Amino acid sequence: MMLAVLILIPLAAAVMVAVAPASRARSIAMVGMLGVAAMTGYLLFSFDWEHTAAQQFALDEESSRLIGPLGVSVSMSVDSISMMLVALTALLGPICVAASKTAITERVKTYYAWMLVLQSAMLGVFCARDMIFFYTCFEFTLIPMYIMISLWGSTNRKKAAAKFFLYTFTGSVIALAGIVYVAWSYADRHGTWTFDADTLMRWSRSLPAATQGWVLGALLLGFAVKVPLFPFHTWLPLAHTEAPTAGSVILAGVLLKLGTYGLVRFAMPFAPAAFVTYSPAIAAVCVVGILYGGLICWVQTDVKKLVAYSSVAHLGFCVLGLASYNVMGVTGSILYMINHGLSTGALFLLIGMVYERYHTRSMKELGGLASKMPVWSTFMVFFAMASVGLPGLNGFVSEFMCLFGAFQASDQWGAGLWGTAAGQTPGATPGHLGAWVAAIAGTGMVVAAMYLLYMVGKVVWGPLVEPAGHSSHGADTHGHGSHGQGSHGHDTHEHGGLPRDLTGREIGVLVPLAALCIFLGVYPSPVIKALKDPVALTTDEVVNFGKARTAMPLVPPANVAPAGHQDNAGHASDAGQNDVSQHKETAR
Amino acid sequence: MNMLASIPGAMDAVITGTTLAQASAPAPMAASQLAHYLFVSAALFAIGLIGFLTRRNLIIMFLCTELMFQAAGVALIAFSRFHLNMTGQTFVIFILTVAAAEAAMALALVVLLFRRRESLNAEEFSEMKG
Amino acid sequence: MGFMMTLSTILATLASPIAALAQSEPVHAAPQEAGHAAEQVAHAAAHVASKIEAIAAPGVGPLWLLLIPVLPLVGFVLSALCAAFRVKSKLPAWLTVLCLGASFAVTLAMYLQLSSGQIANPSVATGFEWIKVSWGLGDAHSMVANFGLYIDSLTCLWMLFVTGLATLIGLYASEYMAGDVGAGYCRFFAAFNLFVFSMSCLVMGDNLLLLYLGWEGVGLCSYLLIGYFYKKPSAVEAGKKAFIVNRIGDLGLALGLMLTAVHFDSIEYSVIFAKAQPYLTALSEGRLGDIPAVVQLIPVLLMIGAFGKSAQLPLYVWLPDAMEGPTPVSALIHAATMVTAGVYLIARTYPLFLLSETALPIVAWTGALTALLAATIGMAQFDIKRIMAYSTVSQLGYMFAGLGVLTSGGAAFHVFTHAFFKAMLFLSCGAVMHGFAGQLDLRKLSGVGSMPGWRVVGIAMLVGCLNLAGFPVITSGYWSKDMILGEAFANPHMVAIGWILLLTAGLTAYYTFRVYFRVFVGPKYFEPGDEVHGHGGDDHGSHGADAHGHGSHGTDAHGHKAHEEHGHAGHGHDAHAHFHPHAPGWAINTVLAILAIAAFAVIGLRFVGGHEGWVSGLIEHSSANYAGHAMYAAAASHGGEHAHATFFGYDAHTAMMYVSGVVGIVGILTAFVLHYVGRTTAAKSKADALLPLVGPLAKWAQGKWYVDELYNAIIRVPLLVLAHLFHLIDKAIVDGIVDLFGWVPKFTGSSLRPSQSGALHGYALSMAGGLAVLVLIVVMVMK
Repeated sequence: MMLAVLILIPLAAAVMVAVAPASRARSIAMVGMLGVAAMTGYLLFSFDWEHTAAQQFALDEESSRLIGPLGVSVSMSVDSISMMLVALTALLGPICVAASKTAITERVKTYYAWMLVLQSAMLGVFCARDMIFFYTCFEFTLIPMYIMISLWGSTNRKKAAAKFFLYTFTGSVIALAGIVYVAWSYADRHGTWTFDADTLMRWSRSLPAATQGWVLGALLLGFAVKVPLFPFHTWLPLAHTEAPTAGSVILAGVLLKLGTYGLVRFAMPFAPAAFVTYSPAIAAVCVVGILYGGLICWVQTDVKKLVAYSSVAHLGFCVLGLASYNVMGVTGSILYMINHGLSTGALFLLIGMVYERYHTRSMKELGGLASKMPVWSTFMVFFAMASVGLPGLNGFVSEFMCLFGAFQASDQWGAGLWGTAAGQTPGATPGHLGAWVAAIAGTGMVVAAMYLLYMVGKVVWGPLVEPAGHSSHGADTHGHGSHGQGSHGHDTHEHGGLPRDLTGREIGVLVPLAALCIFLGVYPSPVIKALKDPVALTTDEVVNFGKARTAMPLVPPANVAPAGHQDNAGHASDAGQNDVSQHKETAR
Repeated sequence: MNMLASIPGAMDAVITGTTLAQASAPAPMAASQLAHYLFVSAALFAIGLIGFLTRRNLIIMFLCTELMFQAAGVALIAFSRFHLNMTGQTFVIFILTVAAAEAAMALALVVLLFRRRESLNAEEFSEMKG
Repeated sequence: MGFMMTLSTILATLASPIAALAQSEPVHAAPQEAGHAAEQVAHAAAHVASKIEAIAAPGVGPLWLLLIPVLPLVGFVLSALCAAFRVKSKLPAWLTVLCLGASFAVTLAMYLQLSSGQIANPSVATGFEWIKVSWGLGDAHSMVANFGLYIDSLTCLWMLFVTGLATLIGLYASEYMAGDVGAGYCRFFAAFNLFVFSMSCLVMGDNLLLLYLGWEGVGLCSYLLIGYFYKKPSAVEAGKKAFIVNRIGDLGLALGLMLTAVHFDSIEYSVIFAKAQPYLTALSEGRLGDIPAVVQLIPVLLMIGAFGKSAQLPLYVWLPDAMEGPTPVSALIHAATMVTAGVYLIARTYPLFLLSETALPIVAWTGALTALLAATIGMAQFDIKRIMAYSTVSQLGYMFAGLGVLTSGGAAFHVFTHAFFKAMLFLSCGAVMHGFAGQLDLRKLSGVGSMPGWRVVGIAMLVGCLNLAGFPVITSGYWSKDMILGEAFANPHMVAIGWILLLTAGLTAYYTFRVYFRVFVGPKYFEPGDEVHGHGGDDHGSHGADAHGHGSHGTDAHGHKAHEEHGHAGHGHDAHAHFHPHAPGWAINTVLAILAIAAFAVIGLRFVGGHEGWVSGLIEHSSANYAGHAMYAAAASHGGEHAHATFFGYDAHTAMMYVSGVVGIVGILTAFVLHYVGRTTAAKSKADALLPLVGPLAKWAQGKWYVDELYNAIIRVPLLVLAHLFHLIDKAIVDGIVDLFGWVPKFTGSSLRPSQSGALHGYALSMAGGLAVLVLIVVMVMK
């Protein structure tokens, strides 16, 4: 029930924004967002951190049934993976509202109402345990974002919005086809329809490997467009560049994570055998995305586009972690979802702040802002470093874990390649990736340094460059102004009421993100621990069922639903364990 | 009641609660008789269609569509009587009602269109060109 | 996996003297000698076992040791707060010196307790759990990276000079950076503190991942400090270059770390060393075949990281450019501490390096070649700070060569002495740069040492140069270099390296004293640089003049013009009547004096505590040498005279004491003749007359052998082209296909559009036609 409340809070606030006068819209939206944050705080507090893999706060299927004959319900529950992403969403909500204060001055009611609806839909995605409900929320995020881009975007907004909508919509419809196929085949066998995620999951992973391949393909297509994985990424730079700042933040911060969340939550458990088979292909796509996206970043002149393309590279790492389907990689991947949301979200905020002042994002027209905006520059360097993956900040932990996950995940470790006995590489896990993949993907770390330092070097350092019409008045002649501090008072109220450097509000928006970046970089241990059980459950499912299925005849067993794998205790991805579960499977 | 009474056996059906078909069988309509009605119907429809295709005045065209409408109504009643099934006639009554409403609506639109162009020529109105 | 195969195949084709060393059979060994050898093997094995025992079960270190990294962190936070509160005084510098001094004091206490046995050697002090991921049945496997400290004598050695020098250089910088008091000052000291914090994580971390944190952390600070004068595009570029080149090395380190974790199932030193025991035993018994290739690959990957951070071939190119940073930074980060991180890494993981047949020879050769290459470049440069930078690269090459020829003690000793004298050299150069408005060209400065107020700098420079040149007996540089040279000649497979290093020693002496004889002695002359500091000068006192001040860092047109018009007309004093070189103040002089004394004092360390000196003693009791002893014992037992080569029949170590001394003196004398004797102007010396003799070589060396250009052409440009190509592909093909999908319905629609005429009759006709067709069909079907 609490989750339903969580989702209804922003909806209610949206209705209130719609009926209240425009001058109140922002404060109501803020209250709504803070309400969500407070509710999330309460959920985090009352979450049972001892049993993180258990689905908690459940709104069960029986009581939430919507369409009886089809088994569609609005059942909801969260485990720690969902909880983390709910927390990320709840955190970014108020930040986006706060960041929109000066940027959005027209049609504020529409803006904040849709933003609240979007918040609700995103929370719904992370809480849903019914596939139709999940899909509905997943798709519903498109409408507010479409409206945000097409009404408050920059010059090319119509095209960007249309492309964003159509592209991701097409992808998700294919994913829906996959979901419906699984549900249909279940109904075909059992005579009753259901869209309950767990039931379908148990059914789906018992399907023949070839069928699973199709299911995975459908789901993957839908989620890969959303992530976005190379080569389905082209909507992203366009949408990011045209979207208003808060839109970009939500887009990078949460919307992209819907794709990766879908992959880890549904694609992997629905089609474990196919996932095992196709993991090298997925990894290859990721690696290409990492390098391709990274190199493209390097030749951008639009700061926002650069950061947008960097998302392609970053999420390549994220999905690479998933493709390694071991605890290390998947945990890293989920951390990556959070970390990317924080650091890239913050980068978009920073770019938005400069855009509000200079009305340009071109690196040809901006440069050396360190002397004019020292506080902004400090944050810029900080978040760029978080994005580069500097150890001690959040990005590193997840990036390293994803890479290491890929490194470990190879069946070839200790398998005679080195002419050594088995057991020489106790740290290895089953998989099809290995050192090569990690090494090539690792060059992405170098490329990341190249493009982000290129950006920082252009925009933050170097001689001061400002667009024509913004050339400094007097500030430079004041000598010490070049070091940024003396000039503070001189040109207040020069740029749309904004002082040259950041305001208290803007600093307030950035500080929580920065604090979290440091926290997750220095002490990620509790988060990793919290994610461990559900991740182990997922990876074990993939490993066990992936292995078991390929070893079995391609006929679904008569009476499926191996419910025994529900409990989270004692799952292991050991080779030995595989054999055991394989026997269990065949015995059934 | 009068209408009902004029149909042989209909009153019995009402009284006994049985359907018309089950009641004392009315005189079946001959197929040749049906053909007459259908001929009238077809003629009406053809007149309406030709009028609709050839005339340019909106009101005339509208009247032509009404003509085609009623042609269908005649055919329905004829078949209804032929098959001794009241559904056709019920349906015609329904059509009459809808046609009345539709006529009111359409004529209002025609008036509006006339106000806009000071003309009732159908060729004046082609804004919906693709 | 495959790439490791390839790599290892390539590596295997290289010389593998260690293998030969360990495996060479004593062909003429008499039976009783064989028995003796077996005894020695057993002894070695026992030795290894006892070492392992100590290392595998490290003691528990007290938590106050965490103060060593934490105090600089506090300094960082305080400096950042100073920036936030817009402090416009030298407060951040004093806070820094205080914090770093305290950190040094704690380090000293750590050393004293360690040497008195109150802290076990080694011991681990765990702060908190940083990253812990476990997997497998019952969480059998895990990767744990704690924020924990690994304390042994190697740690102590490194931390002593890191914190000690950082304190001194912080003091120096308080004066040096005075021109920037305000935001820049705070920024400088914040990064400075952060550097020391990162460096202590690097050195003290008890696992490879924490080392990696420090590794990249020092890289960040290096980036920030090189780019300190961020308005200079060259500084920004240099910072970027340093970071990116280092990242390439870091990738190697990261992969090595992962391989370690996969193989040893841990990245904590104590566990790794314990699990390496069977291999070390195998090594000491000559069973090299028992060491899997995975293990042999680990050091090769790790050393890539070391090459990056310590500016070795092929990744050395960033260090000379890094001289764009303020001089204290060059002294601390790019000479004394950060660049020795590579040496530290290899010393720390020395047992792993010993396990590879190829790793240490590669290290040795890389070091020797880097030393020679950098020395040749250093000979031809004119910027004194750059010369010092190349000398740093060269000396780092010595250290690597030292590690490679199995004298980790010698390498560490050289790190230690080098830290002092090189810091001093840089600080002296910095004082010159500071006083002469950024002038660093040795053709535009002369006789600085005899100018009023420059005596301390002149003496410090002389001391530093003597040390770097390896002047016999009285300099510490001589003793440390000698250990490496002697060991190289003593090792029969490394004699070639010995000769390269000996040649380099001569070149080093020459180019070092070239600087000294040109700049610090001879006729008095100077031209100020174009970077007129607003700092403290009486004539630049007011803030109003800051438009020309430090803030802009641009070219001061006025000064530049004067330089062009009068530059060669006469004495600097006349040409720049308004410019007075300001001699260093007390802070700079004090620091230089302390360092000069220290540079001499460390000679003493050669003769106390252990048969090869204090530093070797420390190394011997750390991970950096315990297996080395086993190696030696084994090697000695297998073939006595193979283990020690001689230098033309003399004991290599003894011979080197004389030979290297002579080589050093010859180099100095050459410089004396070419650059001092009969030199009357700053711009020219006798050496110029000799230039035609070497043909284009001098020009090439001056152009740094065009390595930067080569890298640009074979790496950067192709990547840039590729990036542009990708960008085009992305727009045209990847997005084009998407747009094509969007275009199909659009095209279909637009081609069907004309059929919608908008005329009512058209629609009516088509309806009628449709009806007719329908009727026709019905009729035909009825038939």
